[in-house]
Amino acid sequence: MADVTLTNVRKQFGTFVALENLDIEIKSGEFVALLGPSGCGKSTTLRMLAGLEFPTSGDISIDGRVVNDVAPGKRDIAMVFQSYALYPHMSVAENIAYPLKKRGVSAADRKVAVQKAAELLQLEPLLDRKPKQLSGGQQQRVALGRALVREPKVFLLDEPLSNLDAKLRSYMRAELIELHRRLGKTMIYVTHDQLEAMTMANRIAVMHGGKLQQFDTPDAVYNRPANRFVASFIGTPSMNQLEGQLDGALFHVAGHSIPLDRTRFADDLGTGDYALGVRPEFVAIGDGELPAKIRLVENTGHEQIVTLELTDGTRLLARTDAARRLDVGQNVQIGFHPDAIHLFAPGEEGPRLNKNDAASVIPMRSR
Amino acid sequence: MQRSMLQGVIVNLVTWTLVLLIAFPLLWMIITSVKPQTELFRIPPTWFPETITFEHYWRLLTETPFLTYFRNSVVLATTTTIFVVALGTLGAYSLVRFKYRGRETLAMLVLFTYLLPSVVLIIPLYLMMVAIGLSNTLVSLILAHTTFALPYALWLLRSFMEGVPEDLESAALVDGASRMGAFRDIILPQLLPGIISTALFTFILSWNEYLYALVLVNSDSVAPLTTGVMSMLISAFNIEWSLLMAASVMMSLPLIVVFAFLQSYLTSGFGAGGVKG
Ligand SMILES: Nc1ncnc2c1ncn2[C@@H]1O[C@H](COP(=O)(O)OP(=O)(O)O)[C@@H](O)[C@H]1O
Ligand SMILES: [Mg+2]
Repeated sequence: MADVTLTNVRKQFGTFVALENLDIEIKSGEFVALLGPSGCGKSTTLRMLAGLEFPTSGDISIDGRVVNDVAPGKRDIAMVFQSYALYPHMSVAENIAYPLKKRGVSAADRKVAVQKAAELLQLEPLLDRKPKQLSGGQQQRVALGRALVREPKVFLLDEPLSNLDAKLRSYMRAELIELHRRLGKTMIYVTHDQLEAMTMANRIAVMHGGKLQQFDTPDAVYNRPANRFVASFIGTPSMNQLEGQLDGALFHVAGHSIPLDRTRFADDLGTGDYALGVRPEFVAIGDGELPAKIRLVENTGHEQIVTLELTDGTRLLARTDAARRLDVGQNVQIGFHPDAIHLFAPGEEGPRLNKNDAASVIPMRSR
Repeated sequence: MQRSMLQGVIVNLVTWTLVLLIAFPLLWMIITSVKPQTELFRIPPTWFPETITFEHYWRLLTETPFLTYFRNSVVLATTTTIFVVALGTLGAYSLVRFKYRGRETLAMLVLFTYLLPSVVLIIPLYLMMVAIGLSNTLVSLILAHTTFALPYALWLLRSFMEGVPEDLESAALVDGASRMGAFRDIILPQLLPGIISTALFTFILSWNEYLYALVLVNSDSVAPLTTGVMSMLISAFNIEWSLLMAASVMMSLPLIVVFAFLQSYLTSGFGAGGVKG
């Protein structure tokens, strides 16, 4: 068990800045997800933790020891690769035993450890096979087995489930949560799938363009997103963000005004351009003053996602009961739950301007 | 239906004609090597020898330095192959895995030497060998053949190396292997088909090479088969056909044996080189 810290880490490839001002403190035993769109620097971060890349500046420490110059094999970490990276010419048993072999564990002890890992991951009948003879899910489990066989301090996982089909993925998600609970080891998990991050992690580090956007609990990144990027990245469908003007307690959008509870937002906001954010579940159809037209209704069976268009052409989404009857083309009045409104500064990463204690957590049913 | 059958017959006919054309000299070589001297120049020639004799083989092995040449060739081709495979593998690894200035240029330059006709390189090479005191030694031939085979080997191995995922090596490093350890445990086994085809290519090249051997080496004790046999059996006045054919058969044997065993690797290797390199 160990805590992992990145202090002011920067990583450049040539002139390209892949990571900037990265400060992350991970507590011992925590399950942390690095979440962000493809190319945001998640893998680079993980590879630096593993020692496969070196920070251009800044420090990385594991268990209180700065490991900037420590070789991967000496960091007491294990890593699961997106491609699994199983050694094709070795059997499953040899694959799992390899890290032990490299550490000089005796053949007899290796056998015992491999047996234990195989039991844990239900790999016993497959031990003599070659990786090529395994299904994707089985290969995945072998990769996990190779990682946990020598009981490292920290587990690093780079999109380990992304090559599995949807059903197996949700199964393995549950398995991983269970595994983390049982082992109690620090786990750092890279994913671009917010559902994985939300369901598995104790805390989520949301990244974008090489910068950390927010590092907080799933509840916080969902309900109190630090900025517009986090707000749009977390949640499916994502949060509506309407660009408009703030004037006192009124937010002007599409030729209409939405009254705001100014006590919920920072006190020093001047008149000007802002973005109003509201999640689809807090958009009420038929209850409000904003006129809109229904453009599309998608019924998933237990809910409906409704695409609405304001008079100026701006589109937004609402989430309603599946039972409700709504017709495409219908004109409706919509409103936003006042306690669920976020205000953001303009720009792609415009910060959220709510007072942070004003958490926008409202039970669905009270709409 | 009819048409395609006819087509099949024609294609087969053409193919077999070609095969026979190519194989005929080999066949004739074998036949000649077992004919007694008296039957050799008979007109019309006999297709199948009336009496089969191995006297030429026996004479070759007992009365001539054939075995010395053979040993030289084995040493030469084997050592060259080991050199080329070792250097080529490490070089290809560097070209694929490490980023440094001039990496691509280097790879191109290496190939450039391959584009020059060997006649252009041979005189400077000879002078160099004389200067470092290696003229007329097997070592000079080994070095020459290595420089000759390395460029192609490097490119062939490079395309194989590119097929080995970097993640495998990263995984080995994380699992506790050193860089050399990861290279030995993980990369080399993955590279085996490439190494085998490179080795075959180099061995054949070195075994059959004539020009460098002719220029760089001129004493019997260090001559390989190609030049040794030629100078021994072909003079301005006379060609010892029976002995020459027997020698040719024995020269071809090692190649045929090696080929038969590793043929599938060789074709896959040339394929990989062709597509990517
Ligand atoms: N070895 C490298 N050389 C140059 N650029 C790289 C290298 N590795 C990653 N990058 C770049 O750094 C950025 C972040 O990459 P990565 O960490 O792999 O993103 P992801 O979040 O998808 O895992 C990308 O734009 C990628 O192109
Ligand atoms: Mg990645």
